[in-house]
Amino acid sequence: MNRTQPISAGQPSLSGLRMPRYGMVIDLKRCYGCYACVMACKVKNHTPPGVFWSRILKGEAGTFPNVVRQALPVLCMQCDEPSCLEVCPTGATVKLDNGIVIVEKDKCMGCKYCMMACPYGARYSVDEWESYFPDGLPLSPYEEFAKQAWEDKSGVGVATKCDFCRDRIAEGRDPACVEACPAKARTFGDLDDPDSEVSILIKRYRGEVLNPEFGNKPKVYYLAPR
Amino acid sequence: MNPKANGQLQTEWSWWIAAYLFLGGIGGGAYAIAAVNWFLGESASASTAVGLWIGFPALLIGSVFLLVDLGTPRRAVLAGMKPGTSWIARGFWIITAFMVLALLHLILHAFTAVGQTASGRMILSVVGAAGIVCAVGTMAYTGILLGASKGIPFWRTGAVPVVFVISALVTGHFTIMLIAPFYRGVTAEAVQTMSLEAAALVVLEVLAILFFLQAAFKTPDPRESALRILRKRSFVIGYFILGLAVPFVTMLIVYRSVASTELSSYVPIAAGAALLGLVGGLILRQSVLVCGALPTLNIAGFEFRRIARPKDPKPGIGMLPPQ
Repeated sequence: MNRTQPISAGQPSLSGLRMPRYGMVIDLKRCYGCYACVMACKVKNHTPPGVFWSRILKGEAGTFPNVVRQALPVLCMQCDEPSCLEVCPTGATVKLDNGIVIVEKDKCMGCKYCMMACPYGARYSVDEWESYFPDGLPLSPYEEFAKQAWEDKSGVGVATKCDFCRDRIAEGRDPACVEACPAKARTFGDLDDPDSEVSILIKRYRGEVLNPEFGNKPKVYYLAPR
Repeated sequence: MNPKANGQLQTEWSWWIAAYLFLGGIGGGAYAIAAVNWFLGESASASTAVGLWIGFPALLIGSVFLLVDLGTPRRAVLAGMKPGTSWIARGFWIITAFMVLALLHLILHAFTAVGQTASGRMILSVVGAAGIVCAVGTMAYTGILLGASKGIPFWRTGAVPVVFVISALVTGHFTIMLIAPFYRGVTAEAVQTMSLEAAALVVLEVLAILFFLQAAFKTPDPRESALRILRKRSFVIGYFILGLAVPFVTMLIVYRSVASTELSSYVPIAAGAALLGLVGGLILRQSVLVCGALPTLNIAGFEFRRIARPKDPKPGIGMLPPQ
């Protein structure tokens, strides 16, 4: 597989009756920080202001004058050993059989301990869905719709996070951020399937996880930018 | 609003949680001091009588602060479901047990004559011993809660529980000193003893906080937080100077002078110093909380952290930047 060629995001695969273990690969050489994934996530999940289940960090490396800047897309790492799950006192945080970590909103009491436990800063808590517009303007019709959708799915006063768009996965589609990426920097699939694109990319280009020293065993892999 | 960046300070836990940890510490510290005094045979002393009165109410009020901070308080009863892995769940059971024992001890000591008989004293001993264990657990829990937070490197050290336990004893002791003058049985000797104990505890707290900060300076992310806390005026002036140094000097003065002079003239001075110490204890917890930051993310030689930049001139969509 040629790294410079666009790679199809591909569908999550099921090998027979085996449960997949979903993961994502992000090619940092392809990512140019356009924020399309951030916007796609916001539109898909109706996240209120200040909530970014998908976000972009900008980093620097080298010393002047040989300095380079790099965009780093970050989302919930869907860790195999999630520290958010360990600390959740009510059992609201659950790891599904397919490896996706979710929050059951009806069990969460909003103590925010999971936010202190996640070293990747992937969790958010919202007390109220406020308008994107300043000066206390009332919610626009779209915002009213988004607020209702958010409250139905994620809820206020509880911890929230990315769930790899599991409703889209159930329909056989890729997560919104994967589909929206114009540079095809993101690939989604089954990490346990050795023939899946994610497995091949990780193996061939030595995919690495962010800060492995945290010990959370993330399932979002990155391909080095250089 | 900008996305959350790693290296950014956490903002979710602030004054409400600081007050919860503070009152939990006061309750545990005051009760532990009172119960230990009771075991030492000072069942009628001011610090025993007053300390037993502080434990339960402090925890009760502290729990209200925690409830206020919860996003969905009506589900607080679910808090104890996972004591196997979560320190909030463990804390739920530790604090519940402590509140029951502290209340029972108070009722038996203050409203019954149980302590007059041998069998009654046995019951009080059992309740007191179990209460001390739970009080120490409560004091330690307020620090372990932070120490077990993997996402905040500044807190993730064994020094935080040590600092919080010692600070809990100090604030518990100061609360006893604040209320003791209203207890009719208080004597000059009792005030002298309490002053000396308070000064010794303050010295211990200074050593613990210095140990905590020097340990934080050893690694990059906690160092950022340690520098930030040392730049906070409220921490340096409110906690270190007014909350520790001034009470320490005052307690030594009271210790040296109270026996030779009228007790009543020293009561407001000792109470004032104790009040400053209590405010300092609250500032300590709030400062440690708000100076906690997410760790820096790194991959392939790149560091991804908060980049300092001028404030965004555009306050929001639909508004022009200021001319």
